Parts: sequence; C-alpha cells; structure tokens
Amino acid sequence: MEAPPVTVMPVTGGAINMMEYLLQGSVLDQALDSLLHRLRGLCDNIEPETFADHELVYLLKGQQGQPFLLRARRSLSHPAAPWHLRYLGQPEVGDKSRHALVRNCVDVAASHSLPDFLNEMGFRMDHEFVAKGHVFRKGTMKVVVSKLSRVLVPGNTENTEQLSLSSLVELSVLAPAGQDTVSEDMRAFAEQLKPLVHLEKIDPKKHT
Amino acid sequence: MQQREEKQLEGAVESLTSRVAHVKNSLQSFIYKLENEYERLTWPSVLDNFALLSGQLNTINKLLKNDKTPSFRNQVIIPLLLSPDRDEDLAKLTEQRVPVFSHEIVPDHLRTKPDPDVEEQEKQLNAEAVRIGPDAAQKQIQTLNKLCSNLLEKLNNPREDRDSENAALRQNKPSFNPADTTALVAAVGFGKNLSKCRPPGPVAPGHPGQGNMMSGGPTLQQVTIGGASGHQGNIGGPVASQQTGQPGKMPSSIKTNIKSASASMHPYNR
Repeated sequence: MEAPPVTVMPVTGGAINMMEYLLQGSVLDQALDSLLHRLRGLCDNIEPETFADHELVYLLKGQQGQPFLLRARRSLSHPAAPWHLRYLGQPEVGDKSRHALVRNCVDVAASHSLPDFLNEMGFRMDHEFVAKGHVFRKGTMKVVVSKLSRVLVPGNTENTEQLSLSSLVELSVLAPAGQDTVSEDMRAFAEQLKPLVHLEKIDPKKHT
Repeated sequence: MQQREEKQLEGAVESLTSRVAHVKNSLQSFIYKLENEYERLTWPSVLDNFALLSGQLNTINKLLKNDKTPSFRNQVIIPLLLSPDRDEDLAKLTEQRVPVFSHEIVPDHLRTKPDPDVEEQEKQLNAEAVRIGPDAAQKQIQTLNKLCSNLLEKLNNPREDRDSENAALRQNKPSFNPADTTALVAAVGFGKNLSKCRPPGPVAPGHPGQGNMMSGGPTLQQVTIGGASGHQGNIGGPVASQQTGQPGKMPSSIKTNIKSASASMHPYNR
C-alpha cells in the first residue's frame, strides 16, 4: 500500500499535495526552560500556546508488506474540537543534501466518531500516546516542544507515564511539493537553537 | 601655530558633535521601538540595536584617541554671560531641553568634577593603594599582567587547542541526550516502547515492540457474540497469518478468528 513518491505523480487536479519538512531533536528537562525562553524570543511574538493531545495510530495491514498508517489526534484540553486525521508518507529519498526530512502529508479534520469509523474500515489501533507541551510559530515554521507519555490503560488518558526525561522538539513546515528553499530556512533556524538542541533529520526507519 | 591649533580644535569638536548626534538618534529610535513596538520586537533586532550603539561608541573612542585630536583636557569652558531670560536660539539648538542659560543649569552642564559617590570611591581606592605598600602593590601588578597575557594567549591561539580544553569542561552540563532523541523519535514514528500494556493472564510473547492493543473492550464482545460487523476479533499477529489474499475474502477469516477467540477467551493469542 505504498504510494509512489509524490513529486513523480502527475497532478490530476484536486487539492495540492502538501509536503511536510521535518527536523527533530530533544531537550532534557533541566534545559527545557532555557529552550522555551529562547524560542519565545526567536519566534513570532504571540502568547505561547500549550497543548495536550491524545494521538492514536491506526494500522491497516494489507497483504503486501508495509501496513498503511493513519494518525488520529484529539485535543485533551479542548474536548469539543474535531479530531485531526493525518497521513504521512514515506520520506522522500531524493536529495541527500536536503537538510530536512521531507514526506507527503495529508491532513483532514474529522468528527468524534472517527475511531469507530476507522475500526469499521478495518484499521486497528496500533499504539497511542499523550503529548503535552508548547507550540511556537515563526512565519510558516512551527516548533513543537512536547513531553510524550505512554497510556497505561488503553483509552484512559488520565493514567499516563512519561516516556523519558526529555522533551521532543520538532521543527516542521507544511509546503507544496518542490520548494527547496524551505529546508534552508529551517536549517538557519535550527542553527540558532544550538547548543541547547541539535535539530537534525532523523529517519525513523533507520533506528528500528 | 595658534590658528592651526584652533582649527584642529574646531574640527575635532565638530566631528565629535556629529558622532554624539548619531548616538543620540540611534538611542532615540531604540527607545521608541522598545516603548511602542515591543509586541513585534524580536531578540535579533534588539541585538542589532545594541551592536549599532556599541559601534558608534567605538568610533567616538577612536576619534578621541586620534593623534590629530587636541587634548580636550587642556581646554577650559567659561560661561561669559548668564541671564535668567529665555533664549530662543539656545532652546532651538537643544531641542527645548535647555531654554534658559542661567545660574541653575551651569553647575550641572559644565561640571568637570565627578559625582560625589564616585569621588568617595576614588578616595577609598587611593587610601587602600597607599596602605598596601609598594612591594605588595608591585606583586599584584605582576600577577594581573600574567593573568591578562595568559588569557590573551588562549584567545589568540588556533581553534583546535581551545576546543579540546572546552570540550572536557563542558561535559558537566549537556542540555540534550542523543539517546533520548532516538527513543522519542522512534516512539512517535512507529510506537517503539509504547503500548506495552498486557492483559492479566497468559501473556503473549512474540511482539515485543508493537501492540496488541484493543481499541476498546466492547468491540471484542461484539465479535464473540455476533460478528456481523466487519470487525476482526484479533489484531496484529493472528490477522496477518490467517489472511488469505484478497480483501474480499475478509469475512471468511473473521469466522476463524471468532472461533479462536471464544475458545480461549483471550483476545491476545500471540
């Protein structure tokens, strides 16, 4: 069920294919405050936003190798807000010199019956976690600093256990396919966060 | 000779006035920015302002150190005429800050003595210096010179020497842990170490990293009871091993799953 690389497919109308450019890093809890201050200074000056999200990852195992993955996310701090469903494709292996991880990204909003709907479709929930943290924006760039927790009893988000003593830091940009200047801007921004955090392109498959 | 000196003095005073005016303008714009646009201000632009001020102060210093500048210390300023009347020209020249050149403003604007507390401190330092004695003072001077030359040497040496020392010193305070980075990215990317929740009873070995998670208790009950919906009773291992091929054949595999589920009464076979 793997889609071919997006830049190869012809554009047949409909929505523009958005690509997500991603850089990831982590920061220890003791340095979290200084990182938040620095981000507050570097990013757009709006009130810092905290968030608490519960993400469920659904898998559809096809008969060919790779299972199809969908991520459903709901806000724990705004229970009435719609669910957010996201598909992330395989990372594009085109350009080695590109500084960020690039993958196809499709985002849709969904109603609260999303888990039931996905179950009916045949998806099974593979794992879930709770992410709490802060969101910063600079132009089109989004920086998310989040603490991940594992859900001990499935479905019960009150009872969670922190995964590690670090927080995950992600710098991402959603842009249409083919814009390579985006990764340059991201790298420049990542330079400004050193030596607190080293944001780099981490291929999740390489660390299985 | 006199004329040359006078011309030099005049030229120096003019250039000094223009530099000081530059500093004043940049200070003014910076204060305006801080007071009015603080919501839109970013740290890099604040740093730019500070850098600008520091550069301008540097040029003033260079100007004063210049050989061609006559020593201003030798000049004396004497007010020739003091009047309590408002002077329009002076007011315009100083942007309404000094409207009257009178007895009140002269001691403030033309003072050459330092502030009283600065004077106190200088007196104390002088007393201290006299108290120590010439030998001890000489030793202190030598230590200070040595420290300064050491520091200068370290700063001027090539980068490699500096970095190897600093790397050893900086080990005590790392702000991120690369192992944690990989762990977190793996968790977010494909659920490593998440969903390790095992039910009580015979624990299923085999799938260490991935979950045999139920999306909720009720769904299993539905499957064991009716099985009419498109639900699969088991997820993960059993499904993959029992699927026959085309999606159309799903209903048949469901029956198999239901049987095994009701037989063992546990959703997790593997």
